Amino acid sequence: MKSIRLERVSKSYDGELIIDNLNLEIKAGDFFALLGPSGCGKTTVLRLIAGLETVDAGRIFLGDQEITHVPIHERKINTVFQQYALFPHLTVFENVAYSLRVRKMAAETINARVAEVLKMVRLSGFEGKYPRSLSGGQQQRVALARALVAEPEVLLLDEPLAALDLKLKEEMLTELNQLQDKLKTTFVYVTHDQFEALTVSDQMAIMNPQGDIEQQGTPKQIYEFPVSRFVANFVGNTNIIEGRLHISDRDYQVEVEGLGMFSVYTPTEKLWMIPGCRLLMSVRPEKVLISKKPREGFSNSLQGKVVDIIYYGRSTQYRVRLKNGQNLIVFEQNEEHFPQESIDWDDEVHVHFQKENVVLLEH
Amino acid sequence: MKKALRAIFTQESSFVFSCPAVLWQFVFLYMPFAVLALYSVIDFNEVTGRYFLTAFYYREIFTSLYIQIIFRSFLLAAITAAVCFLIAYPVAYFLALKGSKRFKTFLLFSLIFPSWTSLIVQVYAWFFLLEKNGFISWFLQWTHIISPSFHLLNNYFTIVLGMVSCFLPFMILPIYAVLEKMDKRFLEASADLGADRFETFRRVVFPMSLPGVYAGIMLVFIPSFGEFAIPTLLGGSKYVFWGSVIVDKFLRSRSWRLGAALAIIGIMLPILLMCCVYLGRAIRERYRQRQSKEYTEYLNANKDLWG
Amino acid sequence: MVENRKYLGQFLLPLVVGAAYLFLYLPIFVLVLFSFNDASFSISWQGFSLRWYEKLINSPEILNALQASLIVALATTFLSLLIGTCFVVASRWGRTSFFSNLFYVNILLPEIVLAIGILSLFTFFRIPLGYGSLIAGHTLLGLGFVIPIVRARFVELDPVLTEASLDLGATYWVTFRKVIIPLLMPSLIASGLLVFTLSMDDFLISFFCSGPTVQTLAVYVYSMIRTGVDPMINAVSTCFLVISSLLVFLLCSLKVVDQVLTHE
Repeated sequence: MKSIRLERVSKSYDGELIIDNLNLEIKAGDFFALLGPSGCGKTTVLRLIAGLETVDAGRIFLGDQEITHVPIHERKINTVFQQYALFPHLTVFENVAYSLRVRKMAAETINARVAEVLKMVRLSGFEGKYPRSLSGGQQQRVALARALVAEPEVLLLDEPLAALDLKLKEEMLTELNQLQDKLKTTFVYVTHDQFEALTVSDQMAIMNPQGDIEQQGTPKQIYEFPVSRFVANFVGNTNIIEGRLHISDRDYQVEVEGLGMFSVYTPTEKLWMIPGCRLLMSVRPEKVLISKKPREGFSNSLQGKVVDIIYYGRSTQYRVRLKNGQNLIVFEQNEEHFPQESIDWDDEVHVHFQKENVVLLEH
Repeated sequence: MKKALRAIFTQESSFVFSCPAVLWQFVFLYMPFAVLALYSVIDFNEVTGRYFLTAFYYREIFTSLYIQIIFRSFLLAAITAAVCFLIAYPVAYFLALKGSKRFKTFLLFSLIFPSWTSLIVQVYAWFFLLEKNGFISWFLQWTHIISPSFHLLNNYFTIVLGMVSCFLPFMILPIYAVLEKMDKRFLEASADLGADRFETFRRVVFPMSLPGVYAGIMLVFIPSFGEFAIPTLLGGSKYVFWGSVIVDKFLRSRSWRLGAALAIIGIMLPILLMCCVYLGRAIRERYRQRQSKEYTEYLNANKDLWG
Repeated sequence: MVENRKYLGQFLLPLVVGAAYLFLYLPIFVLVLFSFNDASFSISWQGFSLRWYEKLINSPEILNALQASLIVALATTFLSLLIGTCFVVASRWGRTSFFSNLFYVNILLPEIVLAIGILSLFTFFRIPLGYGSLIAGHTLLGLGFVIPIVRARFVELDPVLTEASLDLGATYWVTFRKVIIPLLMPSLIASGLLVFTLSMDDFLISFFCSGPTVQTLAVYVYSMIRTGVDPMINAVSTCFLVISSLLVFLLCSLKVVDQVLTHE
């Protein structure tokens, strides 16, 4: 297992600049997810690492070795393609054995390795089948096996679960996690699905539509402490409230027009946080408590009217219209341990959240 | 009333509309075959004035003379197909995988274009080029490569030249079509797994292009077998091929029964070719099964490890 | 060592392609060039002249042959398109997929077999050979092309688009006029041009089935070649080339080509 490093990498396509001066560092042995909206350039980054594209400028390192100009077939990096790209004219066995056969390994070794890796993806017994007779999930596992059999330093996955249904996706995510834990190979996983990224990665990076990395960190860091509106909105849902910052002694407060003063807290002081500046408050919907009667113990409380309810099975989403006309989204888990009053349309409700759960973002 | 008519219309429509085409096929293609088949096995006894079944004409064909001719035609067709394949594959490969998008179709059509003219024109073009007073002869004599009395025409090589020139585009097109349609992602996957250009070609590109190759071979081999204009015009009367024999039997010597028998043999040819293709596929499958058998044996031997 | 292979590939491939082009175009180029030659014999170039073309236009046999070819080609194209399209459209109501396989033989068999088939048929029923037998034979070839090409396009339209149209309230006849025919048109035009060219160029079937009264251009040229080289043949051939290239150009300018290729 090796680390990957991109140093000031730029790539244009058909005259359009996709990524510009990108720096990225992926630690060895990590399950790394690159998350971003469609078309942001994340697949381009993956292809550059794989060697399917060449950089216009910058350098790429595998561990300590520079691989910027090393051709694809010589890099010890393998890819699981989005549509699997399984060779239709070869059986499962031959597909998986491909990279070993190309290296002209002995038949004994090939048999052993293929058996091992097929067992790992739970496809033992499928050797003689052709890809066209397999289901989507099975094909995906063959693609995985094929990429892993040669024991690459890094495994790249390009939205591998895009074609699977939800149940299968969840299963595969767990399997991928277990696989990576066992093999300790560096995995680089590209997706636009934040759920996948959050579930499975040790480290995550968010790419914005302009092709820049906005934030890199652990899933929890990114979710709880987004650094920008884009990140806050892209990963999970959030409520964004505009206001002005007031600082008195150690207390931070935000004044919002029409709603009054909010108590807020920030773990680190940022340079842009000067008194009187405009900023955004980000409050995650699940961090807001909704109730018919007011509750004690909360830093911030508001009143509003329920204008929309969506039932998700395990949770319910409420849309509450506040006094200044803005809507607040609230998630409530339907745990129903104790009977509680049900909240209905047009009900007058109270919403509460703690100051520690507010993230301050630059305007 | 209208509803009933409409019901009849739609149900019978299929029959009505497809009738002319199917009828045409039967009347002008399948029936003649039946006629020919009949001709080849039925003979008329002048004396008794009755018809009788006979295998006489087929026995005639299996004499050394006709067998030789058939074999010669077969050989010519095979050589033509082989040469066409050797030239067409690199050309199709280049066009499909290396050509820039805009020029691809243009290049392809400029390659197909010469064959859009009549066979006769193409043959005559070679005839003109190669005949004794022609351009190339003059050029080769001028550079002293050949002597003045050497005939460029009327030899086997020229015939093959003419055949290849006429049939080459038929080999290029199917191979191009298959290669062009091939998903480029397979090439990427192969390279990603460690195969260089040559290995990728050997293991992925070529196997996947085989359907096109088979189509091309059929499109070249079968017409080449029946070709008679090219060998006659470019080879003189030196060589007799199956096509020329048929012309002779039907148009000149009027021995139709023999000609019919010969024609039936010609019809057998595509069927034979198809069988060869299926045989080839079956053999490959057998080879694959044998390989996987080795693998299963390995698994059984190491049951404790892999269960 | 590996690099050598790469260089080989880089140079060898375009070389082979270039050689193929040369191989295909050189004879034709020389042919056309010498049709403008002022000399009666081939090699020596004696100046540019159009006299062979003049001779051509003034030759009644050639004009008759041209007329015959045109009549046959037009009739063939019309019949092939009509019958073929009817057949393809009919697959909507019944299962004609089996029958469409019948038509592959037209292209798979050696043309000479088709030719003598028609010859035998007409002789057996003692029908004199002529335009009838020619058109019958050429249409066989034509059907072998029209049906696959039109069918490939038709299966994309029907039932998907037809059902959508019917669902929106149109009758089948209206659907046919406003949806099917316009979308099918490129395939029809392409296969029509193809069949026309094929018929004009055809030699084998024309050779066997034309009989004493009719002679198509291709057969006429063949008989001319048998008597030896004559610059007039160059002129006729060049005319052939021009006609064919016009047709190919027409075909190319319709974006049908790519479509047809991707269905092949």
